[in-house]
Amino acid sequence: MRLQGTSKHCALVIAGVRRSRRPLPQHPRHSSTSTINADEISHFSRLSSQWWDERGEFALLHKMNPVRVQFVRGKLLEAARDDAVSGHEELEIERNDNAGRTLDGLDVLDVGCGGGLLSESLSRLGARTVGVDASASNIAIASMHASLDPWFSNATPSSSTPQRKYLEYRHASAEDLVQEPKRFDVVCSMEVLEHVDNPAGFLRSCAELVKPGGHLFLSTISRTPLSYLLTIFAAEQALRLVAPGTHTYNKFVKPSELVDFFCKPVSSSESKPWITRLYDGSPTRREAEVRGIVYVPWKGEWMLAPRGAPGATACNYLFWVRKPLDC
Amino acid sequence: MPCRLTPLIRRAVLSKGRHRQSRRLFATHSNNDEWDIVIVGGGPNGLALASALVASQPIRESLRIALVEAADLDKVRQWTPDSDTYSNRVSSITNASKDFMQKIGCWTHVDRHRTNPIAEMQVWDGVSDSRITFSASDMKHQVNAEIDGVKAIAHMTENLNIQCGLLRNLAERGAVSIIDKVKVSQIVREQKEGGGWPLVHTSDGRVLRTRLLVGADGFNSPVRAYAGIESFGWSYDTRAIVATLFHPPRGLGLHVPNTTAYQRFLPTGPIAFLPLTSTASSLVWSTKPDLAEAISKSDPAVLATMVNAAFRLPEISMRHLHHFLLGETATIDALLEEVRWRERSHDIDPHSAYSTFTSTSQDGIPPGDYDSIPPIVTSIQPGSIASFPIRFNHAESYIGESDEGARTALIGDAAHTIHPLAGQGLNMGLADADALAACVHNAVVLGNDIGSRTALIPYARARYFENHKLLAATDKLHKLYSTTLGPVVWARSVGLEVVNELDSVKEALMMSAGGNSSSSYDPSPANRSNAGDSLWPMAARGVEVLSGTFDTAKLVGKGLGGLAASNVTKLLSSYAKR
Repeated sequence: MRLQGTSKHCALVIAGVRRSRRPLPQHPRHSSTSTINADEISHFSRLSSQWWDERGEFALLHKMNPVRVQFVRGKLLEAARDDAVSGHEELEIERNDNAGRTLDGLDVLDVGCGGGLLSESLSRLGARTVGVDASASNIAIASMHASLDPWFSNATPSSSTPQRKYLEYRHASAEDLVQEPKRFDVVCSMEVLEHVDNPAGFLRSCAELVKPGGHLFLSTISRTPLSYLLTIFAAEQALRLVAPGTHTYNKFVKPSELVDFFCKPVSSSESKPWITRLYDGSPTRREAEVRGIVYVPWKGEWMLAPRGAPGATACNYLFWVRKPLDC
Repeated sequence: MPCRLTPLIRRAVLSKGRHRQSRRLFATHSNNDEWDIVIVGGGPNGLALASALVASQPIRESLRIALVEAADLDKVRQWTPDSDTYSNRVSSITNASKDFMQKIGCWTHVDRHRTNPIAEMQVWDGVSDSRITFSASDMKHQVNAEIDGVKAIAHMTENLNIQCGLLRNLAERGAVSIIDKVKVSQIVREQKEGGGWPLVHTSDGRVLRTRLLVGADGFNSPVRAYAGIESFGWSYDTRAIVATLFHPPRGLGLHVPNTTAYQRFLPTGPIAFLPLTSTASSLVWSTKPDLAEAISKSDPAVLATMVNAAFRLPEISMRHLHHFLLGETATIDALLEEVRWRERSHDIDPHSAYSTFTSTSQDGIPPGDYDSIPPIVTSIQPGSIASFPIRFNHAESYIGESDEGARTALIGDAAHTIHPLAGQGLNMGLADADALAACVHNAVVLGNDIGSRTALIPYARARYFENHKLLAATDKLHKLYSTTLGPVVWARSVGLEVVNELDSVKEALMMSAGGNSSSSYDPSPANRSNAGDSLWPMAARGVEVLSGTFDTAKLVGKGLGGLAASNVTKLLSSYAKR
């Protein structure tokens, strides 16, 4: 149920957006026990055949994907370098990165994988990737697309076949996975949070799936007048770049609300919060990070805004937070 | 080190029970050869792309790359030319191209004894004789123009030398499978739901299935046809005659190095003299097809005489020689007699460099004006005379736009064919290779599918407009100089002289002909130097002034008279003051 749409036009960055925040809703807006919204699922199931049309409905998402990977790769490299206790380990990190295998050996979960845009990229970088989605048709499209690519096929590797990458798709929700024992080094959920019914419950499930010391990556849209203007008014209603009904304004989540969420213990079983300190409202570099991601229409591409760029997180943004080793 | 792969039949290995039912397993592929990149065409552009790709470590370690070429590349690999004969296919390698080849590690494999720096270029109008001189010493912004202490605008070398250097570099890296002596018999799109990949059928019965198919396969590109990319263009009513020319050392006893390129714009097309060694140079003469045909069929001495005349005699005599050559009596003796008579009637001093007959007879002391025209051509390397048609052609797109053409990219002549007057054809192809390799590198680092449109768009964006500017500027120059119409000649001559006065514009024009060399090899686009970008608009402006005068002057010719002429004068003088 990854949500497409992503605001197509976030090029205009306006500083000084109204600062109001609210806690993430703790209860389902509908009387369902999962965080999944049935209307959202059917919306994306209808669009599923267009996932891989790079000039179609999801064109903006295709363009956004490299920037998301850039953020994930950069953050994981940064953390790995921070963690490296020896020069030898650092060398190993550099070697893998130079060989295009930055994520070698990591167990990665992509929640709300949609057509598999992000899952394929993470898998190519060496991650053992599992993509899950609540829409069966998304999973079918993602699987079909991966089957075209010999890197993801399950043929025996030989001299005339490419290296094999690990990629697996499942029709499941984050809550389903929590019931299983497997935990992941990295959990990603891109453009999903603004489509679920119970964001706090959804985040708790995602957080639960992260191994201690592992990473959670989110991307979503902030709840500001600017984001309404760009993602709903401009992209859906005026320009029809995104299917109308893709986004619902009051489901958008502000970065500060995400930060607040992780400033408290995520669940009753955890003794300490993931974010222990804030300086002027911002977490430290080693605990969490919020980065704006901005569409530049005249270049036709997305750009990762510099750290701390004023107003850059008023629309689309990426969020990273790390689970403490001892929580 | 070509590695030949036999088709392997891969067996599907069904996963055992460890996969749960809800997991999707991906179908196994048929018995195709699976590749990440297949390059069609083993000319300099295709080989340069292969070299540039494997110069990147992430690409080298993660992608399987094949290059398919119909010719036998062993002949190129084992290229051992005689030290005093030269191929007639030569190129001027700009400093930017040279830096690119250094960056990908192939410049060291190029035979340096067979490259020659161009330190100066002299270009003049065949009708009015107004002249521009470009010199390497004017290049203020070039950081890396010097090799062996010689500052150069560009380097002349044989295309074979480049090709051989690239092949040796690839043999050293060993990461590209070179499939030569094999033709591409057919390219089809795999029929699969969700978008099939290109399947390249070869004449030896293999089927190469590829994530990205690159056409470096020349003007009649089969890859371009497969991708359904339209191209637009035309043939000029012109053929280029090429040959290897022998001549005494420049400046005779003074032993002046042969490092000046000369180009004279005649109304029939430009004639260029491109230095290879102290006593050998290459000819590229664009002229009318009937003249090209007559010359190709004649005694090589006729070409030598015509080349000497074409750099020396006034345009009106060249026109008469043209008719003379097409007449019945065109023997070499009669031609020499005709040239002798024309020199006399034009009052050309027999002791000046402009005389075909006396310069060589002097003993060690060259005429004072020896450096304004090329030395006298004394003979032509046997078998080196050839001619080819000149075209303008530009593909509508460099990447396949339709679903049918997905996963394709074009480089070099498959994407664009340019008039040879600026010597930019190969350089443009090398720049394409550089940009495409950088684009693939960036995609690999971010786990992107290198055949996807998203991954390839930066390549098209980096090259299409750049190439188009150069194509258009060259086309305009050709047309501007194809006329003898008085006001146009006057205006363009003033134009050239104005250009000669303006250092910055001159430098910009020189960049276009000699390339800039400030780009350092760093595959990440952010670090790529933009020095060339900023110079281009200046070059384009220079050409605009020229073509603007052309249009205005045409009006003058049509009888608008003094009013428009005074406007032209005003325009030009205001430009000169600026």
